[in-house]
Amino acid sequence: MIMQERQAFWIVLPVAVALGLLVLLLATGDPASERNNTFQLQGEVAPLIEGPTIDGGWFDIDDERGRWVIVNFFSTSCVPCIVEHPELVAFSDAHDALGDATVVSLAFDDRAENVVKFFQDNGGSWPVLAQDTGEIAVQYGVTGVPESYIVAPSGVVVGRFIGGLTAAALDDAIATLTGADT
Amino acid sequence: MSNAAFGAGAVALGMACAVVGASIVVLGLAGRRPRWFAEATTLVFGMFAAALAAFVVMERALITRDFTVAFVAEHGSSRTPALFNFATLWSALEGSILLWTLILCGYVVAVVLKFRRQGDDPMVGWAVLTLFVVSGFFFLLMLSVAAPFNTFDPQPLADGTPFDGPGPNPLLQNHILMAFHPPVLYLGYVGFTVPFAFAISALVTGRVGEGWLLATRRWTVMAWGLLSLGIVLGAWWSYETLGWGGYWAWDPVENASFLPWLTGTAFLHSVMVQERRGMLRVWNLSLVIATFSLTILGTFITRSGVLQSVHAFVESGIGPAILTFFGLIVIVSLGLIAWRGDELRSPGRIDSPISREGAFLANNVLFAAFAFVVLLGTVFPLIVEVIDGRTISVGNPYFDQMTMPIGFALLFLMAVAPVLPWRKASGDLLAERLIWPAWIGAAAMVVSLLIGARGWAPTLAFGLGGFAGGAALRQVVLATRRQGWRGFVGRTNGGMIVHVGVVLIAVAFAASNAYVRQGEFTLLPGETAEIAGHTLTYEGSTFREYSNRAEWTAAVSVDGGKAYEPGIAVYPFASQTIGIPSVRSTLFDDVALSVLSFPETEEDDVILRATIQPLVVWLWIGGLVMAFGTLLAVIPGKRRQPTAPTSARLPEPEYDPEPLGVDA
Repeated sequence: MIMQERQAFWIVLPVAVALGLLVLLLATGDPASERNNTFQLQGEVAPLIEGPTIDGGWFDIDDERGRWVIVNFFSTSCVPCIVEHPELVAFSDAHDALGDATVVSLAFDDRAENVVKFFQDNGGSWPVLAQDTGEIAVQYGVTGVPESYIVAPSGVVVGRFIGGLTAAALDDAIATLTGADT
Repeated sequence: MSNAAFGAGAVALGMACAVVGASIVVLGLAGRRPRWFAEATTLVFGMFAAALAAFVVMERALITRDFTVAFVAEHGSSRTPALFNFATLWSALEGSILLWTLILCGYVVAVVLKFRRQGDDPMVGWAVLTLFVVSGFFFLLMLSVAAPFNTFDPQPLADGTPFDGPGPNPLLQNHILMAFHPPVLYLGYVGFTVPFAFAISALVTGRVGEGWLLATRRWTVMAWGLLSLGIVLGAWWSYETLGWGGYWAWDPVENASFLPWLTGTAFLHSVMVQERRGMLRVWNLSLVIATFSLTILGTFITRSGVLQSVHAFVESGIGPAILTFFGLIVIVSLGLIAWRGDELRSPGRIDSPISREGAFLANNVLFAAFAFVVLLGTVFPLIVEVIDGRTISVGNPYFDQMTMPIGFALLFLMAVAPVLPWRKASGDLLAERLIWPAWIGAAAMVVSLLIGARGWAPTLAFGLGGFAGGAALRQVVLATRRQGWRGFVGRTNGGMIVHVGVVLIAVAFAASNAYVRQGEFTLLPGETAEIAGHTLTYEGSTFREYSNRAEWTAAVSVDGGKAYEPGIAVYPFASQTIGIPSVRSTLFDDVALSVLSFPETEEDDVILRATIQPLVVWLWIGGLVMAFGTLLAVIPGKRRQPTAPTSARLPEPEYDPEPLGVDA
């Protein structure tokens, strides 16, 4: 009978606890934009990228030790990727001469002939992988295209761009990271 | 006087009215001086006048491009077309809080006018106090973390051109629906404040009768109808402007608007059990409170940036303030329920599960489960991150799999529940009443199979849709036979029209998700492509410059008919590029076109994406039918005789002022 009289209280109690936890969770959660800045690969050796490039060559990321590598996941059918492309061209052109950085693009969920045509039309002479890139994308934890990772000369992943990037932003990031990766 | 100073003054005046009003009501209630809190309602008009003045001043600042107001400098521009310039007010945080406050004050004025004769009733007094407190919170936001009238000193650029703002987010100025979707959604969201205020008042005064429910019934139905319409308009807007071929992505912000809709829908049904049988009182109070709390939680999710969302609002310090308010609502409400719950419980029991009230109970269980599934999916990434630090996202597969069975069960209930009598049903009665709806459901399945539909899930959805639609139409036909045109109005009959709208949406949702075809084509001018029985011909491209943007559009004729013009727009001042999808809609299917890559010269090729989805247009038609049904539902229908045994109310205890203060 006592239980009967206090029934409302005993129903309310677990609800209150659950909602209290929810409020705590929401109150302590970092903003989504800040959480994005850390990701699983941060500080780890870059997962292997190896395979035939669309111009008939062979790419192996381990051969690139000693310079910065921008690992760019893209798709020919995504508008931000198309917008981003000239920026990558500018970055690549500027650094090819210096030899301190290179770009490797991985077509994500795309057809090889589309990728070849895309590069013919839009320029860009860096290595591009168009086959079997899905597994690599999973290892990098790609959430969508465009998405780019910065691999330091030591071969460690140090940065990530979700969404389109610009040449200036890349240069800034590398300048900031240069001090850290020695 | 400058806009900024005048606006800030109006906000301060509104806050003052809310604080003074709330104080007088508190003193009146505590000192049992009904005249006091009756008089305090006058301040409601002051509050509304202040909010209206602030709104008008902000629109004036936007229209005259008064960049000395920081909000205008940050979100307005001289290049924005007039309609979108007007809508700029709700395109960003501060303005949308201002719009929210104005709508809230409008509702409060309506409440005070409606209950002016009962102004000295403590029941109304407590409700008005709650409304003062909620309004005061929103004025407080505008005085602190979301101040809309901060000043700005616009400096001309180095080359002497006068200052100009960036304009609102490009995605918010490329479709006319953006001008309507947020205000309609807010009218719905904010409308739930009124039933919430009366629920709190019922709990505090301990007046367990159904009086508060009857008083706020129509308010709840209206708020619910506007919320439904707002959600459908939002889906329509995203379909027409975002160009990924979809309209619902289980995005946190969409979920935030869907959650109160689910609990509100549950309430609209279970409230009928209370009116007819006097049962589920505490549950109904809890649903009203949950609905209002979820609108506040939704605002937090939308505005705080704690969850990743395609809507991506700019972060601000408003998050903690709203979360604190949410916590306060939860503490007060749960405390009141724990304190009063046992007194409010009714002795009645449900006689048989196969009865109208049994069906409403099942409906409530399903809607509560639906809301739980959606809430869990929305906050699950945060839970996982706390537990093991991983960042995950919960996407469509979870929501689709979890909500589909609930959706089917709800469709089934929609078919059966309207024909069930109260208290107890017999098998014979059910068979007689359900025979025609069942035939319609079977016919819908057969027809869908004949015209090529495959897959068990969509076919089942069509069958159940036909069943539920048939049941709703049967009720309307019977009602109009009995009552003439009045068979269309009133809550029950209007509700059946709403059911028809929901069935249309469910069928359209199932068909458009199950039979989507998407293809990408690289076309030279004059070339054609075929997809899903449609012929697309690329006719050529055009470049146009507008005051706020530059547009490349591709003319694509669909099935040899009129040319549609999907394109890409560049908004230089916002440094953003957005796609402009173009959709050819027919009653049977939609061809949605978007441009993926643009030619450098007119002879080059263009990459087009075409998404073909059947029956999409019925989503919007269904939404309009729901809104129309809601309107019919608030028109008074046939009045039930108060002496009729089914609607006899439980004796309502006289108001006794003693338990108010310290309860023994």
